[in-house]
Amino acid sequence: MKNRLKLLRVERGWTQEQLGQALGVSRQAVIALETERHDPSLDLAYRIAATFGRPVEDIFENPHA
Amino acid sequence: MMSFGKSTTPAHRRYVIRIMAFTIPYVAICVSMMTTDAFDEVMGKPAAWALAAVVSAPVIGQIWAVLSLMRESDEFVRGVTAKQFIVSSGLAMAVATFWGFGESFAGAPHMQTWLIVPLFWGMYGLTAPFIRTSR
Repeated sequence: MKNRLKLLRVERGWTQEQLGQALGVSRQAVIALETERHDPSLDLAYRIAATFGRPVEDIFENPHA
Repeated sequence: MMSFGKSTTPAHRRYVIRIMAFTIPYVAICVSMMTTDAFDEVMGKPAAWALAAVVSAPVIGQIWAVLSLMRESDEFVRGVTAKQFIVSSGLAMAVATFWGFGESFAGAPHMQTWLIVPLFWGMYGLTAPFIRTSR
C-alpha cells in the first residue's frame, strides 16, 4: 500500500528502529511498511496515525478511492 | 533466519535458541542411529517404539518454536513466517507425493517417511529467503 511513512519518519529525524519502538513492531516491519511489502492491519494503521498525529488518510493512500 | 544479526528481535533470538535446542538432539540421535551400533540392541523390539517416539518428539518442539515466534512477533513477521511455512510444507508434500506415486507406479526406490522433516527444512531453507512480503 502506497504511503508516506518514510517521508514522515525522516522529517522527524527518527530511525527505523526508533519508529519501530514507538509503534511496538520490529525494524523489519517498519522496513516492510516503507517499501510497501506489508499492508498494515487497521490497528497498526491507527497506531501509526496516532504516532504521527495525522489521520490515516494522510499517511496511507486509499487504493479504493 | 538463523543468525543473531543487528536487526533481530528478542522473539527471533528466542526462536533460534528454541529451534536449536530441539534440532540438535534430533540430529544427534539420527546420526548416531545411522553411524553407530548404539541402538542396535533395541531394534525390532518393543523398546524401538520408544526410541521412535524420542527421536520424533523434537519435531513437535520445532513446531512449537515456530508458533511461539509467531505469537511473540509483530504482524509482519507473523505473516511472513506463516507464508514461509505454508510454502515449505506444500513443496515438501508435493515432493513426497511425487515420490510416493513414483514408488507405486514407476518402481522408484523406497524412501523412509521420516525424511519428510529434513525435506521440509530443506525446502524452508531454499524458499524462505525469497519470501519477504506478508501479502
